Amino acid sequence: MKAIRVQRTGGPEVMESAGVPVPQPKPAEALVKVSVAGVNAIDGYFRDGRFRTPLPFIPGQEGAGVVTAVGAQAKTVKVGDRVAWSGVLGSYADFVVSPEEHLVPVPETLTDQQAAAAMVHGLTAHYLVNDAHKLKPGETALVHAAAGGVGLLLVQMARAIGARVIGTASSEEKAGLAREAGADEVIVFTKHDFEAEVKRLTDGKGVEVVYDGVGKATFEKNLNVMRLRGMLVLYGMSSGPVLPVDPAKLSEKGSLYMARTTLAHFTATRDELLARTRALFGMIREGKLKLRIAKTYPLADAAQSHRDMEARKIAGKLLLIP
Amino acid sequence: MEVVEMPVPQPKANEAVVKLAASGVNFVDVYFREGRYKAAALPFVLGQEGAGVITEVGAEAKSVKVGDRVAWTGVQGAYAEYAAVPADRLVPIPQAVSDQQAAAAMLQGMTAHYVSHDTYQLKPGETALVHAAAGGVGLLLVQMAHNIGARVIATVSTEEKAKLARAAGAHEVILYTHADFEAETKRLTEGKGVNVVYDSVGKTTFEKGLNVLRPRGMMVLFGGSSGAVPPLDPVLLSQKGSLYLTRPTLVNYIATREELVARSGAVFSMIATGKLKLRIEHTYPLAEVQRAHRDLEGRKTTGKLLLMP
Repeated sequence: MKAIRVQRTGGPEVMESAGVPVPQPKPAEALVKVSVAGVNAIDGYFRDGRFRTPLPFIPGQEGAGVVTAVGAQAKTVKVGDRVAWSGVLGSYADFVVSPEEHLVPVPETLTDQQAAAAMVHGLTAHYLVNDAHKLKPGETALVHAAAGGVGLLLVQMARAIGARVIGTASSEEKAGLAREAGADEVIVFTKHDFEAEVKRLTDGKGVEVVYDGVGKATFEKNLNVMRLRGMLVLYGMSSGPVLPVDPAKLSEKGSLYMARTTLAHFTATRDELLARTRALFGMIREGKLKLRIAKTYPLADAAQSHRDMEARKIAGKLLLIP
Repeated sequence: MEVVEMPVPQPKANEAVVKLAASGVNFVDVYFREGRYKAAALPFVLGQEGAGVITEVGAEAKSVKVGDRVAWTGVQGAYAEYAAVPADRLVPIPQAVSDQQAAAAMLQGMTAHYVSHDTYQLKPGETALVHAAAGGVGLLLVQMAHNIGARVIATVSTEEKAKLARAAGAHEVILYTHADFEAETKRLTEGKGVNVVYDSVGKTTFEKGLNVLRPRGMMVLFGGSSGAVPPLDPVLLSQKGSLYLTRPTLVNYIATREELVARSGAVFSMIATGKLKLRIEHTYPLAEVQRAHRDLEGRKTTGKLLLMP
């Protein structure tokens, strides 16, 4: 089969097309023919070595496709099932093996592309607004990188709950996308100081919650735009990791809360994964959540997809088609 | 700290003057006395907590009147016969609660209340780890958590304190001087860990506290009796299971008069109905304040110390 292989860590160029054997499922695994693989920031972290895994490896954590073989003990899936997944390394390939408990059924009303595009970003947005901080109608949320992959979905979900959304974006064009997604206010942070703007937009009160996938660049100011007992949810670090935090700061700034979350802990049980995916797919089916699939690439062009992702010019989901 | 004669304070427009019946002795008083916390100016009258009767009100003080029995916390000047206090910081004391009880409950009682009811709203069936469970806040927190229906794992330093924590309702007590609380907590929760850690100890307990939280659990760091927790790499919170960290202070949980009155009312009601037992260990005449501080700093006390003006 064809796959993208990384033999040494580095820039996008270390991803090369290779012919490799089709993997065999272990007893509790299934073999899936991949029809779409999603491109995510985390794939770049594995590729450049920030996150470690033994070499060589096939990158990619997310996709959708059809089950073609199952291990002897696999109970929840069968050959022919349309499935999607996240958190399964090796998805940039014609075939991938996955523990069966990571595979979720894709309803007929969703395309493979929609399912693949929704898994990481959609499940992340879903746990952020429903669990990491359960957003309530009337609350105000600050969403950084509101036109990013998670951002655009997070804005829509927050609005559907009835919260007021203040988004940040780097350009007028991205601000337009965030507004389309439902952001009540969008701050173009390259032109305006988001701290001053958030204070102005909230009459000095600040926001109940900050959703931050940016990290280092936004952290300090975040602490200044939260109201008393507000919550900072850090779920990523596109600008680099946040420096160590003196807990006393949380107290000085108003008994604040801080969480550093990852999707795996919010899809830890099969029940939770299924419930969250069902809710997410339901929103897509009902038209309450619009995915923005920005570009599809042939699998062999994986390196180009990473260049595009890391240049931050394309707003929306990038997909590879094996 | 020396006893002096001085004029009875006059209330400003928004203040009331209270004749004190009891003043609470707290660690924060020690910090102000030492200079670790800076008072507005020297000399000053120490003391942040008290109860008594209103003898005079300022022209704009609307929420109270002469003769009201009231209590307060967070306003300097309670180690005295009279104190002038902003009227919006004074809360009424119900009949069923004595002045001594009211003075003893304001800071520690409201602290135990906000951490268990608001900072992390404990639910029946959840498990909480309470450090320094026989301390001033600890004994009240254990009772409140128990009353909510949570399982309480407590840490203490001596057998004697273990008894107190058990009497307050702790289901399990770990003598951290004899056993590693991380290993014990994991054993007692079958490896699952606890929903919340209430930690007022700080430096010596913090790291291990993160290791005993279950995924998405919360670390409530509300004091630092062993020293300040050093800066923390946020990625640790993610690695240890998408954990939450907060460092709350009482003042942010009684920020409005509405919240102050509701919270003190809830605590007084627990006392009046016998659901919350205060442990008033010793009362001292005001003039023996030095002895009260020595006893407190000696860490031999396990209950509340009060001054009686």
